[in-house]
Parts: sequence; C-alpha cells; structure tokens
Amino acid sequence: MKTQPIFTLLSFAVVLLVAGCAQQATYVDPSGPRVVTTVGNINIQDYANAAETMINSLIESVINAGKLKAPAGQPSMLAISRIVNNTTQQIDTDLLVKKIRVALNKTGKVVTTTTFGLGGQAEDPLAQGIQQQTDFFAGKKIARLPDYSLSGKIIEQRERYGDIRQSSYVFQLSLTDKTGVAVWEEEKTITKQGKRAAVGF
Amino acid sequence: MNTKPFLLTAAIVLIAASSGCDTVNTVQRAQPIGQRQMIADKRIITDASLNRIARIVGINETTGPGGFVKVQVELLNVSSDPQSFSYKFEWFDLNGMQVNTPTSTFIPRQIEARESIFISSIAPSANAKDFRLKLITSHP
Repeated sequence: MKTQPIFTLLSFAVVLLVAGCAQQATYVDPSGPRVVTTVGNINIQDYANAAETMINSLIESVINAGKLKAPAGQPSMLAISRIVNNTTQQIDTDLLVKKIRVALNKTGKVVTTTTFGLGGQAEDPLAQGIQQQTDFFAGKKIARLPDYSLSGKIIEQRERYGDIRQSSYVFQLSLTDKTGVAVWEEEKTITKQGKRAAVGF
Repeated sequence: MNTKPFLLTAAIVLIAASSGCDTVNTVQRAQPIGQRQMIADKRIITDASLNRIARIVGINETTGPGGFVKVQVELLNVSSDPQSFSYKFEWFDLNGMQVNTPTSTFIPRQIEARESIFISSIAPSANAKDFRLKLITSHP
C-alpha cells in the first residue's frame, strides 16, 4: 500500500488545523463593554469614565449654571496647566485631558488655546508664531489671555489582601480663573479588584 | 417517623440562607421638598434578567440657565443579590442626529440587593435635547 499521499494529506490537514487555531485580532468598540480590564493599569475605558464624570460636573456646575466668564460674544478661553502623574505608571495625561477639551469645545462655550502653555511652551509652536506675527502687524501689544486654566493630578493607591489585589486611581481636576480662584474642582475615583486580568467590567 | 428534627433543621437552613442576603435599608424625608419633573418614557426590554438587576423606576429631567438638559434615572435592583451592570447615555440634537463626544462610554456600576440608585447625564451641548439610556449586564 502506497502511504505517501495519505501522509501528504495528513500534513496538509495538520497545517490547516494549526493555521486555524492561530489567534486572530479583532476590533472592539473602545467605548463598549468588551474592552480588556486589568487591575494594575489605568485602562482606556477608565480615562473615558473619569472624563465623563469631569465633563458632566463641569457643564453642570459652571457652564449650565451660567457662571462662565468670557469677553462679550466670545467663548471662554481655556489654557491647560500641569496635570501631575502621581502613579507608578508612565501615562500620557492627554488621554484624559483631550477628551475633556473636545467635549468642552463641542459645548460651543469654551475653546482651548494651543499657543499659551506652561513655562512659555506652546502646544503648537507654529500657531504661536503666526499669532505673534498677526498681533505685531495688527499693532496689538497684548494678546488675549486665557480666562481659565485647567490643572490636576492622577493618584494611585494599591492594596492587597490575600490573593485579592485592588488598585484605586484618583483623578483630580481644578479650573482656576484669572483671579487665581479655583471656580470648579472635581474628583473621581476608579477602584478595580481582581486576581488576574479579566475581560469586561 | 418523627419529622420534627427534619423540619427544625430545614427551618434553620432557610433562616441561615435568607440572612446571607444583605439588602439595603433606606430612610428619607416623608414629604420631599424637591419635586422631580418626571418624564414619560418608552422602554425596550430585551434582557429580562437585567430588568431585575437594574429596573428603571422613573426618569426626571431639568434644564439649567445655560440651556443644557440634565436627566436622572432611578434604578432598582429587585433581586436578592448584589449585581453589576454598565450603562451609557446617548444624546441627540433637535434633528434627531446623535451628538458624539469622546466621553460617551459604558460606565460600570454595582448595585446592592434591593438597592435603589440614581444615574445621571448632562447634555453635551445646549442643542442636545433627547437622550437614550443603554443598560447591559457586566460579566466578570
């Protein structure tokens, strides 16, 4: 009996089987409930969750309450100050701040300056150059200063009890006006507990 | 056959089992000063078990001086166990178009046995007047 064709077929079948078992990447909705949740990290949905709380509070306490100050007919101008990362992780605070900026921009009541930054560092140096030249040729001596600055801190607290690990991430933000008064402050704590990485909330 | 010991044991087991469920007791002012402006709602229930975990009791809304609508939904866990679920508010403008923001996300919540909680959301812009609340069971 000639066994070569059988062996060839078998090897093809094995190859197909192995290829079929290979893990495939799939897209998931980052705002949906099927994203990966880990105890030891701030996950993408945690930033969105914290930003949601912050923006709801900011709209309710300042914008919807009619307390927003701005020159007549113009939206308020916001500058982004220091957001301190007091966690053990290397994180980009824009994961939180950008969401808030976008949401504020969509209210139509607040715009963010990209040419006025902490320590004179502009977020967009090209825009800063254009603004300076425009102001120079227009004979403006002082550019419009931001009406508010946004500052904050992200803090991490870890606990362990037996096999259970718990991480808490505290997001704190303050909105300060031109007079140096914090006109709005908010804090959101996200606590996660588990033994190992899990999928879903 | 003397069934008394069996009945006694069964009663003890039942009492022990029922006392294992920690439910929530509440107290509040008999005549609340604040009056909620309740709104009529339309519900689509596709998950009956979720409707026991987070049953919608009522929805009230308010509009601030800035013209932003805020809605508050009261949920009740009618089951005898603590449960987890996630929720998400979606907002729509006057033309019925969804207003997307990067902060619109499913938010996880826990609810104790027989507990009533409130979840709320504020419109992302003054033009957003309609909303939809989505609820889903959380799986560990």
